[in-house]
Amino acid sequence: MFMSITLEQSFVQQLKENQNIIHKICRLYTNDSDAHKDLFQEVTIQLWNAFPKFRGDSKFSTWAYRVALNTAITLYRKSTRTIKTSEYEKHSFYISQEDYNSEQEEQLKLMYKAVYQLNDIEKALIFMYLEDANYAEIAETLGISEVNARVKMNRIKGKLKKILNP
Amino acid sequence: MEELDLLKKNWNKAGAFEQISEAQIYKMLLKKSSSIVKWILVISIIELLIWSGSSLLVSADEAMKKFNIKNLNTYVVVSNVIHYSIIISFIILFYFNYKKISVVTSTKNLMQSILKTRKTVQYYIWYNLGMITLSFVVGIVLVFNLDPAISKLNQNANFRYGFIIGFTIIAIVFIGIFWMLYKIIYGRLLKKLYKNYEELKKIDF
Repeated sequence: MFMSITLEQSFVQQLKENQNIIHKICRLYTNDSDAHKDLFQEVTIQLWNAFPKFRGDSKFSTWAYRVALNTAITLYRKSTRTIKTSEYEKHSFYISQEDYNSEQEEQLKLMYKAVYQLNDIEKALIFMYLEDANYAEIAETLGISEVNARVKMNRIKGKLKKILNP
Repeated sequence: MEELDLLKKNWNKAGAFEQISEAQIYKMLLKKSSSIVKWILVISIIELLIWSGSSLLVSADEAMKKFNIKNLNTYVVVSNVIHYSIIISFIILFYFNYKKISVVTSTKNLMQSILKTRKTVQYYIWYNLGMITLSFVVGIVLVFNLDPAISKLNQNANFRYGFIIGFTIIAIVFIGIFWMLYKIIYGRLLKKLYKNYEELKKIDF
């Protein structure tokens, strides 16, 4: 019997393939692995609820990161069972073995720490900058004007510089 | 900015996240959301129910019946029709505002639609508090003027002022308790949203 792929199967497959983009957001907005999982769970539910209306006029990954940012910034409530454990070493993950460079790794660590100190909106801007989103897209995602997105981005860069070189 | 460039260079190299399997995703789909929108929905429904119930409990109708006011029936019917149409309008408005909340829209829109939904319930509560106060006042005025025993007492200025002051204090305490309760419940729930909304507004002046 021929069975077409169900909505659920298609969703699960695409989410599995694009999960890194959601992990990246969870990593920016949470500071321990329990909270990371908790946020990932909530994002998954939000994505699934919105999926029937996903038309595919944008890429799944773009659509998914918008929903994930909205969830992290607005919808998500820290679950009470997530006790603040010590900050885990989120930074070292990012360098793969072959270009291991301890000085670089140290710099990256500091950079992640600095980004974590930004507020939720600023994190979203940094995230989209790192994802190579253009200003039109950043502006549309947050609901602000393109000019103001650009101005804000420059301010955040300044703020990061200040955090790193006090 | 050198460090940010370094971060960008390493951003997509991450094979570092513990990958989630399809089976795990299926499991996640079975779990319930714990988003603030869901909490607002639950709390709002409870509020809509409690307040529409409370308006049944407190009413000046009884007092009026007792004193045989002319055209009482017409008055009661008209005021009930108005009252319940207002309540139903609130519920419909709440439903449509709630339905408009979409996670796929821009962050600013999402925040605004959540705040709007929440405001609808807030106005509904103020309306009900107002109606309860009004019913009380109408009831008291009627009792004062029509009940022979009390209207005699009412001629004593001390009694009258004492009563008015006492009533006002009770009303203030009553509303104060509600206000605090709301601050606590919604304050906790919406703290982050308000904060981030302010941040967004600061960018887009």
